[in-house]
Amino acid sequence: MRLVQGNEAVVWGALAGGCNFYAGYPITPATEIMEYMARLLPGRGGVFIQMEDELAALAAVIGAAWGGMRGMTATSGPGFSLMQEHIGYAAMSQTPCVVVDSQRVGPSTGQPTMPAQGDVMQARWGAHGDRPALVMTASSVKDVYDTTRLGFEWAYAYRVPVIILLDAVLSHMRENIELPAVAPSPEISQPTGGMSPPFGPYPFVPFSAATRTIVSGLAHDESGATRGSGIGAASERILQGALRQIEKDASRIARCRTDRLEDAEWAIVSYGITARAARSAIDLLRRDGVRVGLLELHTLWPFPEHIVREVARKVRGMLMPELNLGQLVLPLRSAVEGICPVSALGRADGELFTPEAIAAAMTEEIQQIEVGGRVSHHA
Amino acid sequence: MNSAWHGDPLRVRLSGRGGQGIILSGVVVAEAAMLDGKFVVHTQSYGPEARLGASKSEVVISRREIAFPEVVLADVLLCLSSDAYQKYGGRVAPGALSVIDDLVAEAGRTTGEVVLPLRRTARELGNELSANMVGLGALIAIAGIVDPEHGRQAIRQWVKPEFRDVNLKAFERGMELGVARAVAP
Repeated sequence: MRLVQGNEAVVWGALAGGCNFYAGYPITPATEIMEYMARLLPGRGGVFIQMEDELAALAAVIGAAWGGMRGMTATSGPGFSLMQEHIGYAAMSQTPCVVVDSQRVGPSTGQPTMPAQGDVMQARWGAHGDRPALVMTASSVKDVYDTTRLGFEWAYAYRVPVIILLDAVLSHMRENIELPAVAPSPEISQPTGGMSPPFGPYPFVPFSAATRTIVSGLAHDESGATRGSGIGAASERILQGALRQIEKDASRIARCRTDRLEDAEWAIVSYGITARAARSAIDLLRRDGVRVGLLELHTLWPFPEHIVREVARKVRGMLMPELNLGQLVLPLRSAVEGICPVSALGRADGELFTPEAIAAAMTEEIQQIEVGGRVSHHA
Repeated sequence: MNSAWHGDPLRVRLSGRGGQGIILSGVVVAEAAMLDGKFVVHTQSYGPEARLGASKSEVVISRREIAFPEVVLADVLLCLSSDAYQKYGGRVAPGALSVIDDLVAEAGRTTGEVVLPLRRTARELGNELSANMVGLGALIAIAGIVDPEHGRQAIRQWVKPEFRDVNLKAFERGMELGVARAVAP
């Protein structure tokens, strides 16, 4: 048992996932991730490099992946905005990598030390064009470890940049947890040789003497060719294939945790640090005899529509509290439309919701539904 | 003994100015409570400045897993600056115990507020920056929030070697201040 900080748990989770390359640029509240990496990676045969900015940081990670290393970077809002360019590049070039965004209040410089959940849409749609996206979040230090480890697994399984959303509180929070021992220098065997085409539904094969891969952000076919007729169609085919693969595995990818939903008439749907307040809110409401349960989403994108629908069929109403002015509530509403009403509760002032505030919002929604009125959307 | 500071969960808030070691003192409380065999969550909050500005550090201690990680109303409060007192002095639960530095002019008017020379004692020890540990010692002596031996162990674990001795000495002086206060009427 040890006192571990959220940002430190990112690093141990990454190492357990085989991470051996980190490039970054410091920013509150993600800086400790970089500091731990700088301390730990070189002694374990890995590479740590501080780059000149966030664009360069993710570019270095992408290059490292093609060079045969398993890389990640971490940042916060302003840096995450800068990284959108290369998140798109990683998606286009099907390069596995992990990007951690510890969310703080935005837009722009905002409140550097205060928590937010304002990047959940940016994590899905921030880069231009269409792309498959895998975005996960966490609500405890142990979760952060597990999620980061899994992030590396999925980055390679689906050949995408996996995005992990934390927040200023979780990043700096310490909890006493049991961390599994991480092997001193994990042996990662990368596939070598060029038996299959470098792009499309094939395993990621880094550069080697046997490959002649050209990596480009231009539209390309499975061989990497960027010219000739049919490149547009080929590029769309690769993209569609990647989207379909993730869709096919939706039930495996959609990770969530439920709490007291068995007999629930009402559900709070929440994610990240806000889910901790929601769990306490449920204690308060249950004490007053309100049958309410929690659906905590760990995977945010692809949005777990099948899970929220299943819960929606069993309850009379849902509440989504989030530290933004109404973002993830949009896909939630569209997924459960016609099944059950959804209220939004949002704030973007840098403070967490208290359990009391969430309980009050749930009570208000219940009253409105029980008097038969339409639910107001007080986002 | 039915004060708020013997309840579960126990919500501890340590507050002061940036640079006073507020976050470190929270980590020490969390580590000590962990050594006591409890679940702990430590959170920290500070402004964008490297020095000054309000700083707070909160520890929730419980025998059970902790859901909400922050403190709304504190059961135990340590306050090392006037700014922090103005902000958090009143944000305490009924029956709470507050240990407040005596250079905070407004303090000591409410029951449950114990005013002690934390910064002045630290200055006498040659390092005002150890006021956080004087405060912790006093808090632990009066409220018994963690086992004092685990407090010392946590200081050894988390304080940089070059400052370990002065911090341990500050902690002991704080314990003495607290013990004297706890037995006095």
